[in-house]
Amino acid sequence: MDAVDVSEHYEVTAADNSPSLLSIVLDTNPRAWAALDSSLSLAQAISNILVFVNAHLAFSNANQVAVIAAHVNRAVWLYPALQHPSSTTVKDNSGDVQMHDASAETSLPPPSANKYPQFAQIESSVFSSIQTLMAETTVQDLDQLTTQLSGALTLALCRINKAAQALSSSDTTLSNAAPVNATAPPPVKGRIVVVSVSDSDPSQYIPTMNAVFAAAHNQVAIDTISLAGDSTFLQQACFNTNGIFLKAANPRGLLTYLMFGLIPDTEARASLITPTHDTVDFRTACFCHGKVVDTGYVCSVCLSIFCTPPDNAECLTCGTVLALGNYGAKPAVLPRKKKKKKKIANGSGREETGSATGTPRP
Amino acid sequence: MSINPSLSLAEYLERLPGTTFKKLYQQPSTTFAIFRRMLPHLAKTFVMRMLFLPHPMTLADLDAWVKPEAKRKKDQSLSILRSLHIVQISAPSKEKPQEIQLMSNFKRSLRLALTGGGNHNSFGVPSSLMVPPEIDLPFLDRYARKKWEDVLHFVVSSVGYKSSLGEGSGPNKGVKELLIAGQLVDRRPNGSLGITQAGFTFLLQEANAQVWTLLLLWLEVLGNNKSSGLDPVDMLSFLFMLASLELGRAYDTNALTEERRNMLPSLVDFGLIYIPQHKRSMFFPTRLATTLTSGGNSLRTISEGSLGLLGGGGTGEQAGSVVIETNYRLYAYTQSALQIAVLALFAKLNMRFPDMVAGRLSRASIRQAINFGITADQIISYLSAHAHEQMHRTAALTNKPVLPPTVVDQIRLWQLENERMKTTSGFLFRDFTDDKDYLDTARFSEEIGVLVWRNDNTRMFFANKHEQIKDFLKSRKKAE
Amino acid sequence: MPRAIRGVLIECDPSIKSIIVNIDSVNHDFIIEDLDEERVVVKENMVQLLKQKLEDRLKENLPPVDESGSE
Repeated sequence: MDAVDVSEHYEVTAADNSPSLLSIVLDTNPRAWAALDSSLSLAQAISNILVFVNAHLAFSNANQVAVIAAHVNRAVWLYPALQHPSSTTVKDNSGDVQMHDASAETSLPPPSANKYPQFAQIESSVFSSIQTLMAETTVQDLDQLTTQLSGALTLALCRINKAAQALSSSDTTLSNAAPVNATAPPPVKGRIVVVSVSDSDPSQYIPTMNAVFAAAHNQVAIDTISLAGDSTFLQQACFNTNGIFLKAANPRGLLTYLMFGLIPDTEARASLITPTHDTVDFRTACFCHGKVVDTGYVCSVCLSIFCTPPDNAECLTCGTVLALGNYGAKPAVLPRKKKKKKKIANGSGREETGSATGTPRP
Repeated sequence: MSINPSLSLAEYLERLPGTTFKKLYQQPSTTFAIFRRMLPHLAKTFVMRMLFLPHPMTLADLDAWVKPEAKRKKDQSLSILRSLHIVQISAPSKEKPQEIQLMSNFKRSLRLALTGGGNHNSFGVPSSLMVPPEIDLPFLDRYARKKWEDVLHFVVSSVGYKSSLGEGSGPNKGVKELLIAGQLVDRRPNGSLGITQAGFTFLLQEANAQVWTLLLLWLEVLGNNKSSGLDPVDMLSFLFMLASLELGRAYDTNALTEERRNMLPSLVDFGLIYIPQHKRSMFFPTRLATTLTSGGNSLRTISEGSLGLLGGGGTGEQAGSVVIETNYRLYAYTQSALQIAVLALFAKLNMRFPDMVAGRLSRASIRQAINFGITADQIISYLSAHAHEQMHRTAALTNKPVLPPTVVDQIRLWQLENERMKTTSGFLFRDFTDDKDYLDTARFSEEIGVLVWRNDNTRMFFANKHEQIKDFLKSRKKAE
Repeated sequence: MPRAIRGVLIECDPSIKSIIVNIDSVNHDFIIEDLDEERVVVKENMVQLLKQKLEDRLKENLPPVDESGSE
């Protein structure tokens, strides 16, 4: 008899419950952590991060997590752990790394009844992987002051992409709508949180920015919590991907920063006011020496950036012979109308440009 | 007719008194499950942000978190948090701004759930006995599917399509009685069983919703029956605990309380857990149990196989078997009595072959389905979920939707053509003494998201819930 | 003191509403409050009966739909 009544049908809501995938990139630079040890040790930081990971997983049981260590010379999976935790990453013929979720591991001790099983697995996996990683770190590695961030970012993106594909392929039966096009929302809400403790390495500029643009293209947000150091490129990464950049003035409060600033995923951010970065360091690294430059020379053909005019005025990237007007002169800089900051000599000091627009998106 | 047996979990919980919640929130696993299952996304974010705050925060601060255009969403989130007794908001007064904080029980338990530790054993004590090697994930999935299909078969077979399984293999007597008590099927005057409107809706629900429907019925029936000696609160808490167990792991029955051990046989009947014949002291949760807290309608996960095959009452083996043409003809390559019976709910089947049935959708057949309480969207999603592979292939080749749009639209139109009105049950508020009184109350109800209609000229408004408005009126009266 | 009255809000077209008012006019046992052109509040326990009566009314007035259904 309800046929005349429409109320029942209106109550069918299409809630968006696509799973959200969080990838945490943890900067494990030993030198930087040693410097930070008095306020926050690596072990404490990892415990805090694990609580944050658990909080993310608590949102929905479709949510997933990956933890990746960005070490001085390579990027390492902490969770999900590799199948064979050996000294070198095991690769098959295609160069892919075999991965297994911890549920496949059988060697784990029986879980405690006081802990959600999934949380316990992640915890043991992360701790054992990081111990292996630290044990393998040699004295030579310690000379490195910076971290291989781009590799870790790329791994995180690969993981998100893999998850998205796995979901969309199992999902095809559900959609009677038009085939997936570029404007359709991705099947997973990907997000990368970088816990950074060291400076950005200028030589990493190009691979990092490539990863950032790939992330922006896939609608993956990159968030950063910077505990120490000067992460120029990560500021740009967050800006370009609509992520959140947090500079932790007090590293001891890492958990609060994480739980408060970084818990909302891309869905919740639609309705929340997120912390904004008022100034973004938009400087780039030159292609010739890997120096961070404020003003430089740009190839008019391929847009490569150089700190000094290249030899014979020939672009190092595309080989075009460039005609340099007024060869060797300093590039003319038009004074801004409102000058906010004093100029500091090129290269040494760091400075915010305060520019309102970012690098254009692909 | 107005009884709604497919009561949703949210409605069930909202009717519980505050003291019950206090008890529920003593267990971290329960707290965790309620957090995961019951809250909208924004509310979860609020809870997480407040979880590690040492002091209450002012409501004004909370307002500052939210974008102005999402205010409505925020108000609704807060209203849900309050109705589930998760947050506490201090009464408005002149000296102090209103403050909000998590209930201490909830806060403590959720913190414990996230950080681990404590000695509550609420995530299940694993069994120390050897696990029989034949019990693996596929085994448990097969077992759960078999049990659940038995239940569905029982509901469906009452339509008149005899189950091909024979008599002895149906669900247990207890389950049958439960289905009857819950009015999913009812006894006809001639003694036979017949499916009810609620039963039809039940059949077309997703597996997860079906499980909850059945469990809530069970809670209801046992709750009314005082002699059972079971406390519905403890049972609910136990169900939530089951949801947080790990699939494929054996748990110890001896660690459970007496009452909970008494629940196990029923749970075995539903297929939520498995107890090996020769080792009665261990139990395995099945996927039906461990996905209890997955968000409403998705059973899909990436690494684990999906139980979605169960969804919509389909039979596991043949996921895609239905072909539908633009002329409304429908062919289903299936032998499953269950699937044929489901199709017969909304299609006029006129030919039956050894491995195929053919029929067509007509205005009359869809109208009949809608009279049963099935919605057009349910039918469409059923058809698309069970579309034949050939349909997908053609769709991919011609770059068109899987189901013919003309059929999809027509099904919707057939539903719409008789929808003449919209009903909302609730409360009409009237006879306000003055304008200010009226405006304040109406604004309050709008803020908490219960306002349906208002007319400022006649000083009347209609709200779908009244508890919080009542409290509001009381506190106003006190303040005067 | 404001009053809260339990009931069911029905939102519909003016034409349907007039039928409801007409059904109510026999015994005045359905409607609690006539709100406006498109809305009435009716008693909760009478909704099912009202729906049934409305359906009957509509059936009387609608032409039978052509349902040839030939194969």
